[in-house]
Amino acid sequence: MSEHLLEVQNLRTSFVTGGGIVQAVRGVSMYVDRGEFIGIIGESGCGKSVSMLSVLRLLDDNAAVKADRIEFDGIDLQKQTRKSMRKILGRQIGMIFQDPMTSLNPLYTIGNQLTEPLCYHLKISKADARKEALNMLETVGINEPEKRLKQYPHELSGGMRQRAMIAIAMSCRPKLLIADEPTTALDVTIQAQIMELMAELKTKFTTSTILITHDLGVIASVCSRIMVMYGGKIMEQGTAGDIFYRPRHPYTEGLLRSVPGDGSGPKEKLIPIPGSPPDLMNPPAGCPFAARCKKAMKICGLAMPGLVDVAEGHKCACWLLYSRASGNREV
Amino acid sequence: MQDRVLLDVQHLKMYFPISGNGLLHRKTVPLKAVDDVSFSIIEGHTFGLVGESGCGKTTVGRTILKLYEATGGKIVYDGRDITAMTEKEYFPIRREMQMIFQDPMTSLDPRQTVNEIIGRPLMLQKLVSSKKERDERVQELLHMVGLKKDHANRYPHEFSGGQRQRIGIARALGLNPRFIVCDEPISALDVSIQAQVINILGDLQEKMGLTYLFISHDLSMIRHISHRVGVMYLGHIVEVADVEELYTSMRHPYTQSLMSAAPIADPEIAAASKRIILEGAVPSPLNPPSGCPFRTRCRFATDTCADRMPELKDVGGGHLVACHNML
Repeated sequence: MSEHLLEVQNLRTSFVTGGGIVQAVRGVSMYVDRGEFIGIIGESGCGKSVSMLSVLRLLDDNAAVKADRIEFDGIDLQKQTRKSMRKILGRQIGMIFQDPMTSLNPLYTIGNQLTEPLCYHLKISKADARKEALNMLETVGINEPEKRLKQYPHELSGGMRQRAMIAIAMSCRPKLLIADEPTTALDVTIQAQIMELMAELKTKFTTSTILITHDLGVIASVCSRIMVMYGGKIMEQGTAGDIFYRPRHPYTEGLLRSVPGDGSGPKEKLIPIPGSPPDLMNPPAGCPFAARCKKAMKICGLAMPGLVDVAEGHKCACWLLYSRASGNREV
Repeated sequence: MQDRVLLDVQHLKMYFPISGNGLLHRKTVPLKAVDDVSFSIIEGHTFGLVGESGCGKTTVGRTILKLYEATGGKIVYDGRDITAMTEKEYFPIRREMQMIFQDPMTSLDPRQTVNEIIGRPLMLQKLVSSKKERDERVQELLHMVGLKKDHANRYPHEFSGGQRQRIGIARALGLNPRFIVCDEPISALDVSIQAQVINILGDLQEKMGLTYLFISHDLSMIRHISHRVGVMYLGHIVEVADVEELYTSMRHPYTQSLMSAAPIADPEIAAASKRIILEGAVPSPLNPPSGCPFRTRCRFATDTCADRMPELKDVGGGHLVACHNML
């Protein structure tokens, strides 16, 4: 059964806040195979980052995470204690965060932050760890690695910091790498460098990667499989081709139409999605997208449709795909 | 409509004094945020300014609106040189030149209601004579940007990012401006909301004949909205051309690599396109390279590039390029 590297079933995460309970993730099931590069795309607040942080148990105490199953490489992550989780994080699963300035510790040198996980997880000597650290810095394309080891994060540029972050995440050769908006804080030319590096490392180390992003452009070129999230749920998933050329969900269609196409005339009007995402403090009973959907029917406001297979590996959660849909349509 | 230049920027320079490293010998070093930038915008058109962070594009926008005092060069608005105008002389023109900011959270006063935010400039510029008139005008403006009447009594935190950006637009529109600097107005917004804001800006331009300076790092949006585009690098404009000309036959190596680095939201085109990945990062503007600012990352750099800064030359049809070895 467990051929997948990571398998998550029916993940639900909620936060207790002063204003009430926010249901950030509402029943997400997903898997990652070995060596796969998958993408999760969605707008801010759709639950894409929270779902990954829930899997890794990195959320604060005000978060309640429930799932039918979270299994990584044959290990049930829900049964792990904080201590045993530490042995997995950084060793088996690496993570890259959005902002390399806040995720690196400003008080320690790059060398310090790179060698620490190596010594802790791999139980190797400091001298060996240093050698490996130099090797990693070279792998991620940081020049003068000797000098960089002694530098502090603020002495590096944004792109360099993100490279250092990747070097730390990859140093113990994790089986899974989770990259949460790794290029959002960077300029386009630097973004291209980092994406190229990630694709290179994936082939070099055969690491499975989950890329979380809101940028359709970033995800298009690298991911083999894409999941589209909205309002704490997965709305559609499929190959890059399915999502970009044969989208079935009105939200995916809307997302694709709201960015200017490449060849199209520049003065063609964009088709925006009206309204704004739902409030997850009081999530709608039905499809979270119903309020903004042009094709919404009566049933959309009442119940959430399940994911339906529309083609091999292409799934979509929309009432329009059900056979009785046309009869239910409200004008 | 006759093509009439509304804004003409000539050799604009904006240097910020930065205190140097010397502990005892406090020296100030000029940070050349904008160095010799020239362009002009035709009334009713959108001029797109693209470049990476720190290239000086925002500084250009702010200097034009006299939020900074220009170090050198000239800003000619509607035939009048506004560069050296005093605050008093400039006041009536300020009404015509407005700005929409990047971050709609920090550019709206959290302690003012929407009515106050949009209404205060109206009172200051004496465009309305009574509170009642002000309230009516605010309602009208809210309607124009697609917000509801009862939104007027709310505070900024009660709105989503896209709605806040609409409030910022309504505030700028209230003064019946002719020229608006849009400084990354959509980069803080989600994709589905970006298109809403872009469409509002487009509709308003059509209806009111507005002229925009649209500052962004998003190449596909710039292409969508602009008539003419300037590419900036380290305080300099390296290439200017009409939008389609620039996107189809760019001549500057930096423009070319910037375009090729831009992510394409189409897997097949993305796979087929050849990317030029630039080495390294943008040099510090405190210590810029000699000659051409781009030469440290340029594939075609020669000795000439280190010696002299290339001039912005017309290569035909209003397409200007600053490069010794243009493509």
